[in-house]
Amino acid sequence: MEASLERKYNFDVVRWFTIMAVVYLVVGASVGVYIAAELAWPALNFDSPYLSFGRLRPLHTNAVIFAFGGCTLMATAFYTVQRTCGARLWSDKMAWFTFWGWNLVIVLAVITLPLGLTQSKEYAELEWPVDILIAVVWLSFTINFVMTIANRKSSHIYVSNWFFLGMMIMIVYLHVVNSLAIPVGLFKSYSIFSGVQDAMIQWWWGHNAVGFYLTAGFLGIMYYFVPKQAGRPIYSYRLSVIHFWALMFGYVWLGAHHLQYTALPDWTGSLGAAVSIAMIIPSWGGAVNGMMTLSGAWDRLRTDYVLRFLIIALAFYAMSTFEGPVMSLKTVNALSHYTDWTIGHVHSGALGWVAGISIGAIYHLMTRLYHTEMFSVRLINFHFWTATIGTVIYIVAMWVSGIMQGLMWRAYDEYGTLAYTFVESVDAMHPYYAMRTVGGAIFLLGAVVMLFNILMTVRKSLSEGSLSKARALPAPA
Amino acid sequence: MSSLSDYFQTDWQAMTTNDWIGTILTVVIFLLMVGAYFYVFRPKNREKLEAMKHIPFEEDNENTGDPHGRK
Repeated sequence: MEASLERKYNFDVVRWFTIMAVVYLVVGASVGVYIAAELAWPALNFDSPYLSFGRLRPLHTNAVIFAFGGCTLMATAFYTVQRTCGARLWSDKMAWFTFWGWNLVIVLAVITLPLGLTQSKEYAELEWPVDILIAVVWLSFTINFVMTIANRKSSHIYVSNWFFLGMMIMIVYLHVVNSLAIPVGLFKSYSIFSGVQDAMIQWWWGHNAVGFYLTAGFLGIMYYFVPKQAGRPIYSYRLSVIHFWALMFGYVWLGAHHLQYTALPDWTGSLGAAVSIAMIIPSWGGAVNGMMTLSGAWDRLRTDYVLRFLIIALAFYAMSTFEGPVMSLKTVNALSHYTDWTIGHVHSGALGWVAGISIGAIYHLMTRLYHTEMFSVRLINFHFWTATIGTVIYIVAMWVSGIMQGLMWRAYDEYGTLAYTFVESVDAMHPYYAMRTVGGAIFLLGAVVMLFNILMTVRKSLSEGSLSKARALPAPA
Repeated sequence: MSSLSDYFQTDWQAMTTNDWIGTILTVVIFLLMVGAYFYVFRPKNREKLEAMKHIPFEEDNENTGDPHGRK
């Protein structure tokens, strides 16, 4: 079926985004493993500022979130909008502008961040000229997507497109408002917000980057690729509609829970925590909706490794959307905040959910975009186990480390003085930092194997001539 | 807080235009959410909404004459 669609749709730009997503997964995870090793063995920074944790950490987060995550979102959004609307992308030229523009942003991040050029805003480190470029490229992505929907042949807009569109619209104004700054040079600017307002805007952006970019966007992937890979429609379309609107309504309230026990008014943190708890309901509704799609076909998980990635990702989604609200409660937050527990939570979402659903979608896409089977199904199976085991080792290490940190920092002796110095808590973390590096390295190994498998599949397709044969087929009506 | 009524006490005179805009928008969006729940879970709308779940498979069911195609 996909073969005859080569002329009808623009799959070329989807192919390039897909390949680049896997390349950036390897790059981003490599930097992550390196900086994890730096925390365990600080001598690895070789006394070079360019290799220091403070400069490489934003490079890692930008590479995995915006390079790997962004390319995955753009590949899947451009693919699913065409397939579910029965319409070619509105503008091929604009799609290529999005591809090259987004990659230029990534190159600029790779250059500027190790040089120490940063706005010092978490997940929004890039300086103002790059921020403007991001806004323009993201708008081109959004406009092309919206216009493709406008040209659709179907009467209804399938729910995956709602999630993608919700993400696109929200990210436009989150990014623009959070990045408002006064430039004082080509690579130096100051936020127009200050003090507690700056902190509030920062975490309004920060948590919504999680909520709309890393959740809503990837739920768009889930709502198309889980049914397609399972070969059966989503369990409940009505639940997906409620999932969407509840997510859009609820997520914008949560940012203040990052600022418990700070100068922010107390009630804002409480409100953030209350809505966070309420968000468990739609999040779990969505996770159950995805998993129950396999109802009556659970045996597929024995043989379908791609489906395994997608379903395990949903399990991690359910787990991290329960853990996050619990951590936002003030009582728990008093222990967890500023500790490695947060890092563990973030990575159960990032490695388990975001990477898992992306990897499943990319494997699904590869066979359909290159019109051939994967080079090695055994390597997909190997990747599944390395990704899962690596993620579990990572997050368990951070949970233990984080809770131990929190307990050590708050412990008092009989005279009311702190029981441990900060250095003692750092020393106690060492085995867990080493364990985290091992978990990350196992995950990275899987990503490298994936890249090899993907490139060999492309080579296989070229040698078989399956892509050129598909391109020669007439387009369906 | 000495009592529950103190907890819910609001100084209406101190409300700014921004406060009112935010409050009204929040209530309106909340009511829209309630409306969405009502619409989605109304038994009458069940069949119409659930029919949409088949959209990703519609193209697969078309006969394109492609012998090497995949679904």
